[in-house]
Amino acid sequence: MTETALSLRNVDKFYGPIGHGVHAVRDVSMDFAKGEIVALLGSSGCGKTSTLRMIAGFEEVSRGSIMLADRDISRLAPAKRNVAMAFEGYSLYPPLTVRDNISFALKSTNLSAGDIAARVSEISDMLEIGDILDRYPSSISGGQQQRASLGRALVRDADLHLLDEPMGQLEPQLRALLRGRIKHFIKERGLTAILVTHDQTEANALADRIAVMEDGVLQQFDSPEVLRDKPSNLFTGTFVGEPPMNVFEAEVSAEKGTISLQFKNEMSLQYAAGSFSDEICEAMLSRQHVMIGVRPYAVRRTDKKGIRTKVAVNQWLGDQSHIAAEFAGGMLVLVEHDRAEVKPGQEIKIDLEPSSLHIFDRASGEAIAHGTELAS
Amino acid sequence: MASLELKNIAKRYKGETVLDDVSLSVAEGETLVLFGPSGAGKTVLLRLVAGVIEPDQGQVLIGGEDMTDTEAEDRGIGMAFQNFALFPHMSAFENIASPLEAQRATPGAIRAGVEAVARLLKIDHVLGHAPRELSNGQKQRTALARALAGAPPILLLDDPLRNVDAKLRFEMRLELPRLLAEQNATVIYVTQDYKEAMALGDRIAVMSNGRIEQIGTPADIYLDPANIDIASLFGDPIINLLEVTPAAGSKGLAAQISGVPVRLGNRDPAIAGQEMVMGIRPEAIGFVSAKSKAAIPVDVEAETPLNEKTVTLAKTAGGREILISRPAGTPGPASGKAYISIDGEAALLFAKSDGTRAGKGGQDLETEGEAA
Amino acid sequence: MEYTSPLEKTLRAIALTLVVIFFMFPILWIFLMSFQTNETILRVPPSVVFEPTLTNYQALITGKLETSAASLEINFMRNLFNSVFLSVASVAVAMLLGVPAAYAFARHKFRGSEDIAFTLLSFRFAPPLLVLLPLALYFQQIGLADTYIGLIWVYQLICLPLILWIVRGYFEDISPDIEYAYRIAGHSWFATFRKIALPLAGPGIAAAGLLAFIFAWNNFIFALVLASADKQPVTVGALAFITASGIQYGQIAAGIVLSIAPTLALALYAQKYLVEGLSLGAVKG
Repeated sequence: MTETALSLRNVDKFYGPIGHGVHAVRDVSMDFAKGEIVALLGSSGCGKTSTLRMIAGFEEVSRGSIMLADRDISRLAPAKRNVAMAFEGYSLYPPLTVRDNISFALKSTNLSAGDIAARVSEISDMLEIGDILDRYPSSISGGQQQRASLGRALVRDADLHLLDEPMGQLEPQLRALLRGRIKHFIKERGLTAILVTHDQTEANALADRIAVMEDGVLQQFDSPEVLRDKPSNLFTGTFVGEPPMNVFEAEVSAEKGTISLQFKNEMSLQYAAGSFSDEICEAMLSRQHVMIGVRPYAVRRTDKKGIRTKVAVNQWLGDQSHIAAEFAGGMLVLVEHDRAEVKPGQEIKIDLEPSSLHIFDRASGEAIAHGTELAS
Repeated sequence: MASLELKNIAKRYKGETVLDDVSLSVAEGETLVLFGPSGAGKTVLLRLVAGVIEPDQGQVLIGGEDMTDTEAEDRGIGMAFQNFALFPHMSAFENIASPLEAQRATPGAIRAGVEAVARLLKIDHVLGHAPRELSNGQKQRTALARALAGAPPILLLDDPLRNVDAKLRFEMRLELPRLLAEQNATVIYVTQDYKEAMALGDRIAVMSNGRIEQIGTPADIYLDPANIDIASLFGDPIINLLEVTPAAGSKGLAAQISGVPVRLGNRDPAIAGQEMVMGIRPEAIGFVSAKSKAAIPVDVEAETPLNEKTVTLAKTAGGREILISRPAGTPGPASGKAYISIDGEAALLFAKSDGTRAGKGGQDLETEGEAA
Repeated sequence: MEYTSPLEKTLRAIALTLVVIFFMFPILWIFLMSFQTNETILRVPPSVVFEPTLTNYQALITGKLETSAASLEINFMRNLFNSVFLSVASVAVAMLLGVPAAYAFARHKFRGSEDIAFTLLSFRFAPPLLVLLPLALYFQQIGLADTYIGLIWVYQLICLPLILWIVRGYFEDISPDIEYAYRIAGHSWFATFRKIALPLAGPGIAAAGLLAFIFAWNNFIFALVLASADKQPVTVGALAFITASGIQYGQIAAGIVLSIAPTLALALYAQKYLVEGLSLGAVKG
């Protein structure tokens, strides 16, 4: 997994004149390892699609270079890059059947007709489109079109597979199953895949590493676990994760061996100074105004000493309970995996361990420290 | 607040039946969720209640009064639309004010009313903006504010969170129950998202093909679905559906999965020998050691994290695909060979022929008691 | 990929210039002609250098045309007034009838509604003369020939289908949900028509009105057949410049400039409004 398949070096994208136009992608550098699945994640207009289109060759690289297997492909025509792509709008060829759409690119290779048929049948079984292979794109549903388009991209042998919002329209009943199958398919063949998505659930489910983008800037490029445990700033912290991270403004102060976090509405938390390393204590105290983030799954109800709060809502979703409790003028959300029997208005006690906290600078949003580091 | 009752509603469009003999009653102050896939007839039903579509047959009763032939403006309804349907040439303020204007409120009363509901929905700072200047979340809140402004006794919400991003949707899902409770309104809420349905509904009516298939509390629907389709609509990841033929053994009924008997617990023995589909939720399957009793060997195909859970796709020797879900952070294999155990007592059994529930077990009987 | 070389840019600029010249040249030439006498217009080779003169405009406005042969009475100003009056009145009548009809066609599909709408459009397909000759006879009989009312009535053949079809499209583009929302908020259907449908279709109504105005203004054949000199618009009136002693190119050019001025001004004025309105329509609620 260490061999680099693709790298972006200081890539910029301007729409309009360089330096004056809309700066859609700002100095992005990334390395993609061979056999890796990477998700470009961000809300619309964050630059993820521009980045993908530059890799595919549909957009000019304004500055910087794109290297595929050590050759600069920034100015190569799309067809010469050996890249397979599934488009967000599917872009199936309307006059061709689903079968011909999928096998289209294979026909220009030296695969035998038998091999092509075998591949098409394998991929269509995986994507549950075996029974619509002889239909035309206009006569199948959006979800089926999306699966056909995915099949057309995945069936190819390419150096790189680019998938633009590959699962947005999939039928909810198939989604979990197809996520598993597609991930297995890509991994089994050692394909390198880049997927663009605005849905952090999809990125988490499929990707080995996630590149979070916002305003054309690469915010963080790490594994889902690192994004969850050590988000580099407030944006990544709140963008990745469902339910989203709880965030509250707090003032830090220290006295007599305790560190105190003062929240709105007279709510405060005290921790023994020993809970935090000296370095982190200093970083927090020098800033004073911080944002405290807590992941919903890290908030625990407790019978012992804890913060008293009132339940605002308790929503049971079958496999999880989402409980929102009043906290510092807002809501603190906690997730439990069993059906929690608490009612709105009921008082509960919750525990916020130092190891569950994420501390961010309030002005810049940059992370100061994460719970997992605090305990050391 | 007013109760709402639909009696034998039927509606056809261009020869196709959109609603087929739908009867429904919603109690005063209740929130009823109409849930179903697109094309099930939910939106048509809602519009019929609103009075902008006329039924071919049947009656709409509001507060006990027959309103089938009453014009939309005289029914005392507030409605929020999926596409927001804001008046593009009016400011957010004018949008929200429109029901109050129709009630011929004084300018002062209109201003007070609009500001109160805008504060409640946290959009008081954008009241002067035109809809095109609002973010998606603000549009959605403006649409909701407009529906609430006239304090209507009946509130119809047509998939109002469909077009906002995941984070806003989650926030609103937590906020809505309180908001609706304060309104004292009878609510019909349409959605395609089972999580919204479970989170917001006092009761859920599951619709498909123009009919109400099942109606009950979220727990009734999730734990005791009437058929396979309903079972597969609720839950993410989807419920596993495995074809089995239960057989009576020395220790009661059991189904064979990959040659391993899965005990089904105390159920109607009449199902023995019949072709059935066993529905088993991913969270009712766990990884176990090879030595455990009734351990089923599988190949782990892929691990796909999902909202604080880890979902694993595994395949049995016979090629059956099984989804397994566990809380994130708990141990489990990411690839290779593994063993799972299925909690057969928690399984839902359906007749293979028509997908209806069969052979209800001890647990099912318990939940039924709870519902009653 | 979008690499544009300097050569490509130059070629593109040249091509664009050629297109502009091709379309703008006749208008520019007419404009120049209107300030020349017949002699300078007809000299060979033609030249853009000349002594400008206002005699053409003078002749039109005073109504006295002095030629080398004789002096001629023309009532161009009368024609201009007729054009304005006929066009404005026709469009006003067509709006009054057409806009509510368009709304009805857009919102209330009833049995035969498509057929009725299509029949109205089909008036546009028939050659005008086919309709005109029998009409001329009827009009003589019932005394509508050579009256403003008669002409305005006939002009509905031009204006009404245009307004109906264009405005109907705009009404159909308004999401019914927006109107439903207003109804459910407690307003009557008429209030909804007035406060929601009309303002939202406003740009479309303006565009249709403008088009109808231009079509009415440019009409030639109806007035030629159905009206005598004092009811004729400029299009027909311009015929007077083709005299026995020759064609008065200078006056024709001046007449054209004067007669396109109102439509041009209207189009320029409405352009900004139309573009604004169209982009507003594109932003869905």
